[in-house]
Formats: sequence, C-alpha cells, structure tokens
Amino acid sequence: MDFSVVANNFSYFMLGAWPNGPLGGAALTLVLSVVSAIASGVLGLVFGVALAMTRGAAHSVLLMGLGFFRAIPVIMLIFWTYFLLPILFGIDVPGTGTVVVALSLIGGSYLAHSVHAGIASLPPGQWQAAAALGLSRGQALRLVILPQALPIMVPSFINQWVALIKDTSLAYVIGVGELSFVATQVSNREMVYPTEIFLFVALVYYVFCSTLELCANRVAKRFGTAAG
Amino acid sequence: MLDELLAPKYLGWLIEGFGVTLLLSALVSVAATVLGLGLCLARVAQSPLWSWPARAWLSVFRNTPLLVQLFFWYFGASALMPEKLLIWLNTPHVWDLKLFGVRWPSFEYIAGFFGLTLYTAAFIAEEFRSGVRGVPAGQIAAAQALGFTPLQVWLNVVMPQAFRISLPPLLGQYMNAVKNSSLTMAIGLAELSYASRQVETETFKTFQAFGIATTLYILTIIVIELAGQWLQRRKPAPGASH
Repeated sequence: MDFSVVANNFSYFMLGAWPNGPLGGAALTLVLSVVSAIASGVLGLVFGVALAMTRGAAHSVLLMGLGFFRAIPVIMLIFWTYFLLPILFGIDVPGTGTVVVALSLIGGSYLAHSVHAGIASLPPGQWQAAAALGLSRGQALRLVILPQALPIMVPSFINQWVALIKDTSLAYVIGVGELSFVATQVSNREMVYPTEIFLFVALVYYVFCSTLELCANRVAKRFGTAAG
Repeated sequence: MLDELLAPKYLGWLIEGFGVTLLLSALVSVAATVLGLGLCLARVAQSPLWSWPARAWLSVFRNTPLLVQLFFWYFGASALMPEKLLIWLNTPHVWDLKLFGVRWPSFEYIAGFFGLTLYTAAFIAEEFRSGVRGVPAGQIAAAQALGFTPLQVWLNVVMPQAFRISLPPLLGQYMNAVKNSSLTMAIGLAELSYASRQVETETFKTFQAFGIATTLYILTIIVIELAGQWLQRRKPAPGASH
C-alpha cells in the first residue's frame, strides 16, 4: 500500500481544478448532494401532500407518475434528463444541472410516499377537530397536520439523503467532475495505485454518509423523547 | 412496426443486454439472500466476536456508493490479486455439464456480480434483522420452555415468521438489485443500460433506445411486484389475515 498517490493529488480529490478551473471532487459531491437534498425534500413534501389530499383519478395518475421514477434505474433517468432537458428548455443544460434534476425527481418520488405515510399515520380526529374549529383543509394541513407529521418523517428523509449522497457518484456517467469521476481520472493517469485511490474515495463517502446518519440518530432520539 | 423504430440488429443488442441484466440480477439476488441471512445471524449473535465484524460490514457497505465499490473490485482488487489468479480469471474456461457447456464469464461480469452481491447482502441483512425483531419475544421464551434447543428455536419458530415479515422489503431489495445492475455499465459490462447507450450512439435514435430500455426495466419491476402480491396472498404475514 502506497498512499502517496492520494497525498500528491489531495487538492484535486477535494476541490478538482478549483481555483484555477471549475469546482470538482469532494466539494462538488457536497454541492450536488445539498442542492438535490433540498430540491428532493421540497418535491417530496409537495407530492406527498398531493397524495394525501387527492382522491380517484388524480390520485392514480400521481401514483403512476411517482411509480415511474421509482421503477427506473438512476442511470436511465440521468440519460433521459441529459437528452430531454436541452430539448424542453431550448438551452444548453450543464451536466451538474442534469444530475440535480434527475436525483431530485427520484429522491422526491421516494420521499412523497414517506410524507404521505406520515400524514396518514395521524388519527382522522385531528382533521375533524381542525374542521370543527373552522379551519379550511389547507389551514388544517399547515397548522395542525404537518407540524405533527414532519417529526415522524425525519428518519425517512435522512435515509433518503444518505442514498442521495451515494447516487451523486452516478454523475460520473455523463462526465461531471465530482469525486468518483476525479478518482477514475487520477487512476487512469497514474495507472499504478487503483486500490489506494478507490479505498480513499470510499472513505471520503463513508465520512459524508455516516456523519449524516449520526446526526440523524441524534435528531431521532430528541424527537423520540419529545414525543414520549 | 418495430423495424421502423429500430433496426433488428440494434433491437438484438437491447434484448441481449436485457438478458445480461436479468441473469445478473437473479444470480445476485440468490447469492445476496444467502449471504445476507448469514450476516443477519452474525449481527444478532450474542458474542461481539460475531456481531462487531457484521456491524462494520453493514456500515461500510451501506455507506459507500455502489459505483465506488464496483471500481474498487474491478480496478483495485485486480491490482492486489496474484498475477496467476488474474490470468486464470481472464482466460475463458468451459465447464462441460453434460447437457450444456457453461461459458466462463468475463472479468467484468465476475467483478460486477461480486460487487453487487456484497452491496445487496448488506441491505438484505438489515431487512432480515427487522424481520427477526418482529417476532414477539414471548414466542422464543415459549419455545425454550417447551424444551427446544437454540437451533430449533431459530429454525422452527423465528425464521419462518421473520422470513414472512421481511418478504415485502426483501422483494424491494430484489427490485433494487435489478436497478443497481445498471451501474455495472461503468466497468464495461454490456447490460441493458450499456446497450441502450451503445444503440443511441450508433443510431442517434435516442427516444427508441432509451424508451425500450426504460420499458424493459419497468416491466421487470412490475413482474416482481405482481409476484410479491401473489406470494403475499398465498402466505400472508402473521397477524395480517386475522
């Protein structure tokens, strides 16, 4: 084992070509993760509430749409967005934007079901009591239901976000210079130490994911004691 | 009709890729279920000699991207292997099994199978574990009171129930195995996603290439879903039918 290859390329692994070029490496992985996490959270909330508030045909259409994103591999969706986004918007969409859109759609589709389950887990009496107090359905949702349902959903959000950090590595397939892409670049250039390079890269991802998981456990504990 | 959409040659590529995807994910699902069961048993074992290594495995394999793991097995592990083993793995062997010969798979296939199995097993182990936790403690105590040995308790009381509880999430993991098999395209395995990309590059018929591949993935997921519903009806989880 000779980790000098990691030490020699450390700045490239962490930041890519920055500050002389675009941001890349682990920093870009973090940026992709944070932006997609926020977007998937918003999408999940919107579609989850929509699932809870709709009935009949609209509900079925929504379920099918969400089912589509859950049934196809992330790589296929990245291919689709890479191909379709420029056609839809008539502009050149950078690779990073493509990946964020794909990851947000998939993450949002999974989260929508968690949000729906969280809302459905509350007793119907909560809705009825809010209606009896003269609140509209929207007000009941905002003031009564979501404040109780959101803490229940925290663990699913965190799990989904851990999956999201890992999925940012798939940006590799369209040549976005995040950590995995940078790793293969260095590995191809140096030719000699692939074991060390990929062990190091795995360690960086491990630190990102397990830190998030650790925070999640603490948050879950706090909500657990608050509820009990 | 399909001829106008895509020449038979390219359609053939996609079907071939689909075959690789199906076979690979089926093999991975079987191997990962066996390995996952073993991991789960080690994880719930009383002795820290078993449970701590299992904990470490689960944590490492669940918290790093599959893509990086595949790169590690494909590029990294081959650099560590003795040269003789590598040459042996890379040369085609034929096993003559009376009825049909089994072709030795490519190194991409072996690395992909290996990486996917280890990754999937870590997730399956956790599904089994929540299944085991779903078996009421009173049942284990009752079995012990009846004079069952620890092995009998596991085989006759815990496992059958845990397996039925974890069936739905287990099927979800098999679906993930199908979807995750697409990542092996990054190490050059010609499965469905790889084939669709190839067809797209050669024909520029992006809609057809990606559309057919996407449809095949969705069909596979639907089949697994329906199989799950059918199994659930035949063997409902304990407590679900009463």
